[in-house]
Amino acid sequence: MLVTLDPRDARPLYLQIMDEVRRALVLGTLRAEDPLPSVRELASELVVNPRTVSQAYRELEREGVVYVRRGQGTFVAPEFDRDRQERDALARAVAKRALIEARRNGLGVDELVTMIREVAADEEAEPSRSAYAANEGEKQ
Amino acid sequence: MSHSTHPASGDEGFAVTTHALSKRYGGEPALDRVELRVPEGAVYVLIGPNGAGKSTTFKILMNLERPDSGSAEVFGLDTGRQGPKARAQVGYVPERQDSGYRAMTCGRLLQHVAAYYSTWDHAYAEQLTRALDLRLQRRVGGLSKGEARRLQLVMALAHRPPLLLLDEPTDGLDPLVRKRVLALLTEHLADTPTTVLISTHHVYEMETLADHVGVLRDGRLVAQLDRDELKRTVRRYRIEVPEGWESPPEFRVAADASRSPNRRELQWTLVGDERSVAEKLALTGARVREVTSLGLEDAALAFLDGEVTG
Repeated sequence: MLVTLDPRDARPLYLQIMDEVRRALVLGTLRAEDPLPSVRELASELVVNPRTVSQAYRELEREGVVYVRRGQGTFVAPEFDRDRQERDALARAVAKRALIEARRNGLGVDELVTMIREVAADEEAEPSRSAYAANEGEKQ
Repeated sequence: MSHSTHPASGDEGFAVTTHALSKRYGGEPALDRVELRVPEGAVYVLIGPNGAGKSTTFKILMNLERPDSGSAEVFGLDTGRQGPKARAQVGYVPERQDSGYRAMTCGRLLQHVAAYYSTWDHAYAEQLTRALDLRLQRRVGGLSKGEARRLQLVMALAHRPPLLLLDEPTDGLDPLVRKRVLALLTEHLADTPTTVLISTHHVYEMETLADHVGVLRDGRLVAQLDRDELKRTVRRYRIEVPEGWESPPEFRVAADASRSPNRRELQWTLVGDERSVAEKLALTGARVREVTSLGLEDAALAFLDGEVTG
């Protein structure tokens, strides 16, 4: 599992860590019964207060995504069903961010949804116009 | 680890508090009624330009300076009246290196300091010495600024105190060593419950590690808030304004506004809940085009730039 934090992101750091764990679960790079990095490891790697990592792990435990084995660390829940809950939770988080971004730019929900469909259709017709390619273009 | 013994805290849940702390140097105010609140377990970064009062604050907490008025407490211990007891709770990295012990070698000085602390962790001191490439046979008087810094870090961390006061701890260190120091500090926090009060000019380094921020300007603590609150309430707004538009006086303007050449577009850093700020702006006929969240450093620096009111 790779975790990256964006200090300029408006989300609190513990939420960013939670979302990164969710993303790893949906992508399949983290699976049922896999160990999560220890609080010490992850905190040191990300240079965040270990309490922030603990908070993220605690919240994930409360949501039943992970569980703690005494003296051994934190593990992904065995009954974890990556195609339902986590996909939903992740999609919800992505949608929330898109919606906030849209509102800030003075766009409504319908406009956003319509345009997502249009852009997706364009990309399907012409892969070189994909969102990734567009981003690359902007950077240059 | 069970190295740290927390004495009962005075103000519940705070490792450091100051009460109307004031200090003047030759008539110039160095600290002006500062009310510092550093929660236990926090990594609190103190930001401000040179001469804003950061080092003076640290010195008063260490009882190396006396305040003109007001008081300071470390875990409920008055730093003036219970100085030695308070100091025993602290690992301190001063901004300038001590002039004493110049003839001693680093190794000898570490032994000397170790004797003062019952909690000194010899194995950990060795580990830190290695990790920071400290050469023990070097004489203290001949150390470079960076070497002196690394020595001070070992002395501050090795007794695993409940409070670390770090005054520019990465000053004079090269970027690679700075990175290593931050990683060591993070591991230290994971192993030992510690509160950290740190001042730095390299705020970006503390971008993700700091969870509380205080901003000192001309001896006054102009902002003190936790990271999430700072990030929630300080944002940059790009707005479109009608001809002849004037900014409403009730705004807490954190940074100077920049205006496009045709004066129709304005970029502003404002303090307040995003929705209510946007609503207020809309009422004045301005149209909010974009709101961006700022990094810790930019958000904190906004308090230094402009006339923050309210």
